[in-house]
Amino acid sequence: MTFKGISIACSFTTFGLYAVLILSLFYFFRTETLWDALFSERTLFSIRLSVVAATISTFLSVLIAVPSAFALSRYDFAGKKAVDTILELPMIVSPAALGAMLLIFFNNPLGLWIQDHGVQFVFTFYGIVLAQFVTVCGVSTRLIKAAMDEIPVRYEAVARTLGASPGKAFLTITLPLSRRGIVAASILSWAKALGEFGATITIAGSMAMKTETLPIAIFMRLASAEIEGTVVLILILVSIGLSILYIVRILSRGDSYA
Amino acid sequence: MPEIRLLKVSKHICRDVDLTIRDGEVFVVVGTTGAGKTTLLNVIAGVTDYKGKVLIDGVDVNGVPPQKRGVGYLFQGLALFPHLTTASNIAFGLHARGHNKRAVNDRVLTLMEMMRITHLSGRYPHMLSGGEKKRVALARSLAPSPNILLLDEPTSSLDHQTSKYLRSELLFLLKKLAVTTVYVTHDLREAEEIADRIAVMSKGKVEQVSTPRNLFFDPRNRSVAEFIGMPNIIECTGSRVLASGLVEVESGDLRILLPYDGNNLAKIAIHPEDIYLSDVRDPGPALNRFTGRVDEIIHQGATVRVKVSVDKMMLLTEMTQDAFEEIAIEQGKEVNVVIKMRRLRYVEA
Repeated sequence: MTFKGISIACSFTTFGLYAVLILSLFYFFRTETLWDALFSERTLFSIRLSVVAATISTFLSVLIAVPSAFALSRYDFAGKKAVDTILELPMIVSPAALGAMLLIFFNNPLGLWIQDHGVQFVFTFYGIVLAQFVTVCGVSTRLIKAAMDEIPVRYEAVARTLGASPGKAFLTITLPLSRRGIVAASILSWAKALGEFGATITIAGSMAMKTETLPIAIFMRLASAEIEGTVVLILILVSIGLSILYIVRILSRGDSYA
Repeated sequence: MPEIRLLKVSKHICRDVDLTIRDGEVFVVVGTTGAGKTTLLNVIAGVTDYKGKVLIDGVDVNGVPPQKRGVGYLFQGLALFPHLTTASNIAFGLHARGHNKRAVNDRVLTLMEMMRITHLSGRYPHMLSGGEKKRVALARSLAPSPNILLLDEPTSSLDHQTSKYLRSELLFLLKKLAVTTVYVTHDLREAEEIADRIAVMSKGKVEQVSTPRNLFFDPRNRSVAEFIGMPNIIECTGSRVLASGLVEVESGDLRILLPYDGNNLAKIAIHPEDIYLSDVRDPGPALNRFTGRVDEIIHQGATVRVKVSVDKMMLLTEMTQDAFEEIAIEQGKEVNVVIKMRRLRYVEA
């Protein structure tokens, strides 16, 4: 077998692994359960909650990640290594631990003050957004930084000599050139936020019609041994996730300048 | 157009560089790769931090950001913005400086006509050839009407013909605009063609600043002499006009013909690579052909230098290792020497 053949076989092995997992769901699939689950108020609420929370948390994390990534990519400053290292925190600690850290924070004096005088995070929609934000912010910063590292600093230097201020050079040169990277980072962050479970359930709980996102709904159904209902919810999660990823991928085609 | 002064500038390899670039002149910086030429341009443009002072028209511009230095910079890699068309690339600096749309369009059109790239207006950089990219980048750097133009190897990576053509156009343009220009190249012939004055840089230091002619006839030190190719300097003891535009120069017993209109030459310079050696007498007219004796053979990696005595005069010649292997010459033996007539430089009395 040629090297090309081996590498293609490996990619199909990955595809096959996930495809088998998805196909195996159909062993417990019942059409009548699908309609019941799909049009139940509780499921529709979970879908809406998951999509809205994931969209808000992704938007917020990209909003913070873009300037942070630029600073990490372009400037040397005190504490840069510490900032760069801590981006990996959500990957080092488990999502449940991350959620626990949030819960502990909101039981500290500062956290309690924020809850009393600002926004109530524990067991609320805001808690879901915060849990997802904390989980994906580091990842999106890391991905956008990688995209910006690929853009030669020379472009900004040229823009500066042509009369652009640092901010204008960033907005007119760096940002459009890293658009593909930002879109890719947003897609992955959104997908990760949509499937987030550990941190969300720890800080926001699993209250039906209040903080029950799709992954939490799946866990709750499985915990009460409703396999067929679990299968339907998994299929809904997979369908939403994959179709949005696919659409965005098609929309961002033909964006190359090379 | 302004005068630029660098006082004790240090950055990377550059150490305590002092330099004055006169108002409106084309100042060419030459040197080998890594000599610090580009660093010098970056310092003038303010796109890098540095130690020392840069004065533009006597005003200290340390701390003045690049966008306020009035400098146009053609980077070596060109760095055309890949997401913008030719017209948008050229218009970038004008938009950045807040010109109105109509003024921007007029200026872009004028520059595209001047650089003869109007037909490329809507194309993206990846759709352009190497020569076209250079023209677009040059138009872009000229668009905001800079007082100072910094050009980093503007004709590099082009084929010989395109490079030569672009160079002559550039020379015409620079003289027309009368903008103070700092032009970096590693090609000495290019420098000689375009420069009012040349600075030779080596290992971060400016070794010599002089007119092209003085550089060849009066290199200040061994490093400069090596860089300009160790030319053979021949003192002229007499000369006579053979025909209009052709002179026979005497130096001792040696008679050398060269194309020159006049009769007052003091010195001529012959580059070692412009002297050919052969173990057999080539057919053809016996112009600038002599018989010499090989004094010394010096191997220098890919090249070989051969010292040859011709009528009591020692000439240094240089050839590639391959060319050397094709001719059967040995130390102490006779050899045929041919001096290429067209490439001779001279200094008038």
